[in-house]
Amino acid sequence: MPETLAPVADITARGYAHPEVLVSTEWVADHLKDPTVRLVESDEDVLLYETGHIAGAVKVDWVADLNDPLTRDYIDAPRFQRLLRAKGINDNTTIVFYGDKNNWWATYAFWVFRLFGLKNLRVLDGGRLRWVDEGRELVTQTPRYPEGNITISVRNDTGHRAFRDQVLEHVNRGKRLVDVRSPEEYRGERMHMPEYPNEGALRGGHVPGARSIPWGRAVSPETHTFRPASELRTIYQQENGLQPGDDVIVYCRIGERSSHTWFALTYLLGFESVRNYDGSWTEWGNLVRAPVEKP
Amino acid sequence: MDREARVAWLVDHYQRPRHRGKLPDADARVPGGNPGCGDIITMYLKGQDGEDRVAAVSFEGVGCTLSQAAASILAERINRQQPTFAEVLDFSYEEMLDLLGRGIASSRPQCATLALGTLKGAVKTVEMNRKLRAAGRSDEEIRELRRAIAAQAEGTGLVIGEGAEQAATKPHIASM
Repeated sequence: MPETLAPVADITARGYAHPEVLVSTEWVADHLKDPTVRLVESDEDVLLYETGHIAGAVKVDWVADLNDPLTRDYIDAPRFQRLLRAKGINDNTTIVFYGDKNNWWATYAFWVFRLFGLKNLRVLDGGRLRWVDEGRELVTQTPRYPEGNITISVRNDTGHRAFRDQVLEHVNRGKRLVDVRSPEEYRGERMHMPEYPNEGALRGGHVPGARSIPWGRAVSPETHTFRPASELRTIYQQENGLQPGDDVIVYCRIGERSSHTWFALTYLLGFESVRNYDGSWTEWGNLVRAPVEKP
Repeated sequence: MDREARVAWLVDHYQRPRHRGKLPDADARVPGGNPGCGDIITMYLKGQDGEDRVAAVSFEGVGCTLSQAAASILAERINRQQPTFAEVLDFSYEEMLDLLGRGIASSRPQCATLALGTLKGAVKTVEMNRKLRAAGRSDEEIRELRRAIAAQAEGTGLVIGEGAEQAATKPHIASM
């Protein structure tokens, strides 16, 4: 490991509600040949995996693999089962996600896998960036695994996914909403910047009542790992008044950044009811008569 | 080309980019950015004297594997074919996806087409500059019209022309 690299505190010492969902780079290095562990790389950069990945890792792309190619939705259970079996995943496999962009897409994939009821899921703390910063090996050889035997029965969106009508109900009932986009997006300033694309949304601003808590606040910039629970509580609970028993909906632009916050609130702080609104601003900002607020 | 060979070809262009660097005697230097992904491509274009045809192009950039590989592949093709300006403008984004391979590029269309959009912006810049200089316009007037070209890209998810580098690297999009 390079001497200048900031050290990372032990995951179990950080006070998380569910520390078992995070694994360290050392843990991954020790389990590279463990047949019950499957590493899954999910990136924004569609070819990053091909330039080099952790030995034995398979690739899951959020567009090509998880999204339905026609409807704006996720694939159904039979297709998801085929996908996982093709990656050599069994019922008893521990799936460890990692990726670029501080694990945006890793937590997004984790969230989609949860919709299908999978529980034996982990995230590599610090993601691909931490692995690379530590000087650990990447390989280009794509692994081949025998067909897996995992059984997927149904996708259940009720517990972890929110839809626009539920967001509107949240607004009307004054329930907790968290906008994890940048403050500029939250304030709707991007819609007025010259020479700037609107990325498909016709209105700028935020869902009324939503708190602005950019996703990146959950990450330590020096190590790319999640902040300890005490710091997360300061950000989400003390500064913004969220409580673990609150019914919370998080959103961003298409649901990728908010899956990161969903993960932090649900697993690291132990919030009981957090749903990710993957329609997010690309839906809400185009929805006729949807209420929009600007500070 | 099968998928494996195509991936290897793209990664090779990413790792060993062709025609990367400044073009010292370029007629236009046009930046383009993809704020959604943080990609930046700057295209340099030199036109042939007295003819609306490309003499040479080069590029600089940072960003995801596909955006940078696409710029290298496009620059290689343009330098080999030396097409007319009209042929560059007629080369569609759909054709660019086909060139790169739809199986890979269609999942990230903005990354895949950033270089082409920026090259079209460079061609328009050179065309415009030539016309405006022939009409006796000043450099300041020419800069104003370049900004107008950049505004035409609004709504596509890409930013071409002045302001593109700043837009693509704004921390609130790329890293927040």
